[in-house]
Amino acid sequence: MNDSKWTWRLVGLSSIVTTILLLIGFMYAVSDILYPKGETALTSLPEETQAPAAAADGYKILALGDSLAKGTGDNTGNGFVKRTMDGLVQDGGKAALVGNMGINGLTTAGLLDKLKEEGVQYAMRQANIVLLSVGGNDLFGNSGILGNNSGDSGAEIPEGASTPVLPETEEAGAGTSQHEVQELTPESLLAGLPAAVERLEQALESIVKINPSAHIYYIGLYNPFDDVEALRVPGNQAVTAWNHSVMELINAHDQMTLVPTLDLFGNHLEKYLSTDHFHPNEYGYQRISERIIQAVR
Amino acid sequence: MINLLPLVRNECLKIIKKKRFYVILLILVVLVPMFTYAQMRISERSREKFNSDWRLEIQQQITDNQNSLSSDRIPEEWKTYRRIFVQQLQYYLDHNVNPNEPSGVTFTREFLDNSVNLFIPLLIMAVASDLVSGERTTGTIKMLLTRPVRRWKVLLSKLVALLMFVSLIVLSVVVICYLISGLVFGYTGFNVPVFTGFQINGDTVDMSGVHAVPQWKYLLMQAGLIWFVSVVVALLAFMVSVLVRSTAASIVVMMAALIAGTILSNMASAWTSAKYLFMVNLGLTGYLAGTPAPIEGMTLPFSMAVLAIWGLVSIIISFAVFTKRDILN
Repeated sequence: MNDSKWTWRLVGLSSIVTTILLLIGFMYAVSDILYPKGETALTSLPEETQAPAAAADGYKILALGDSLAKGTGDNTGNGFVKRTMDGLVQDGGKAALVGNMGINGLTTAGLLDKLKEEGVQYAMRQANIVLLSVGGNDLFGNSGILGNNSGDSGAEIPEGASTPVLPETEEAGAGTSQHEVQELTPESLLAGLPAAVERLEQALESIVKINPSAHIYYIGLYNPFDDVEALRVPGNQAVTAWNHSVMELINAHDQMTLVPTLDLFGNHLEKYLSTDHFHPNEYGYQRISERIIQAVR
Repeated sequence: MINLLPLVRNECLKIIKKKRFYVILLILVVLVPMFTYAQMRISERSREKFNSDWRLEIQQQITDNQNSLSSDRIPEEWKTYRRIFVQQLQYYLDHNVNPNEPSGVTFTREFLDNSVNLFIPLLIMAVASDLVSGERTTGTIKMLLTRPVRRWKVLLSKLVALLMFVSLIVLSVVVICYLISGLVFGYTGFNVPVFTGFQINGDTVDMSGVHAVPQWKYLLMQAGLIWFVSVVVALLAFMVSVLVRSTAASIVVMMAALIAGTILSNMASAWTSAKYLFMVNLGLTGYLAGTPAPIEGMTLPFSMAVLAIWGLVSIIISFAVFTKRDILN
């Protein structure tokens, strides 16, 4: 009897206290959700984060850019970024991936937005090698050759775009839509080029500003339509013109390198392109990564 | 007139003597270490991958989510969810706050978020479901009702005892979770800022109301909301236990309803009138964290109103039935 008396007191008292506590929490929660008071200057704004001191040895790789950086089309999912890293490690080097920030459909405009993000800048400061792949979507993305899969990466169609964007088609279906594109001329492909190159210049400059000590490897464009009669010449001209303009940008900086890929795919599209007829497959990515490794070492 | 207090006391002692509460504690003591271990493995793996740099981890998470947005194969509502998620992560990153700062308190916070829909209601049911039906199964209800006490008083005393234990259960979930996960993640983290006040409009997040709350206060608010949910679940389970003769049936009915709720909130965004069901509205803590509600148009006042109505109706039904019904068998 005495025992149960104490149990009762303990249970009664603790449950009353708990209930009051929970009620207070409940009131707080309700008022907080219904009338949230925004505070603006609550935390210190992110300080300029510096690279850790221990980052001296080895390659610290950051990949930035479009679906090629992400590795779309590679059935193993590795892309050239992972392959480059593996290749560097196999040669006895030390390589670590800081991050792969490739986003499907990223254009130069989207890249500029991305470079303003604190998280991207932070990762950039940790890296000493930046693999950059961008431009393909500027050149081909708004021409209607591809199903425009630019999604929500903040990409906008450059002002210079004269040809309308076809309605979204599935990425994999892009290969079938080539037959519809007859009006493609070098002019229409190149319409957006000057503006896009200018944006790329801004992007390169802001990368240098964020991390002056990193070496930038820009992955040159290839022509995925080399085997389509109607697109072969205009496509090659456009890609060459683009690569040439980029080369001129890159020449001005000694911490930048252009990694050419045009010749890698040239007459072997069957072998090195994936089923969507735009992105490389695993063999294609392997060849790109071999080029990068040659350039890095 | 017999005072209510001795009756409540009696009911409390009955709950304790039946060892239901100990079973709940035991369940927690067994299960929480499992969740803690799982969480430990997750954070170990991400530490290996990102060199214990949470900013890189968050940035990678943002990139991955943005990538999945561009796929046509992902349903629109998931995209909305991810878009909101990306904006919130970006906010944390911009303010240099690690949303997953590993600590016992953070673990408890996340555990509460995940358990409000199913796990805690199940624990509540363990006590509530046999309060009345248990007496009928064993036949003791006749003894109880032959006393010179009004029937509504008997039921009320049971209800009060139940509500007392609801509070205790919510408290023990928080305390046990904190104590056990603290062994692994450390007992700190009470003052880490957590952002709340994300207002979701369509697929964008209004950041103007966002403010930081110390984690202890966030935990208190969570516990308060969970308490409200638990009370409603307790009232419903109580009603079922009045209506149904056997304890097993009463547990099954409530379990089915709860599980249906979790299934519905995963798939019912097209069927909007499902939002009037109580089991879809259990996730009150989501409004605190800023996760989008399972069905368009649900807000905190709405969910609370729905829950409150269900709770009130079940009280009325319980009392009406219990005072009128003939006790046979």
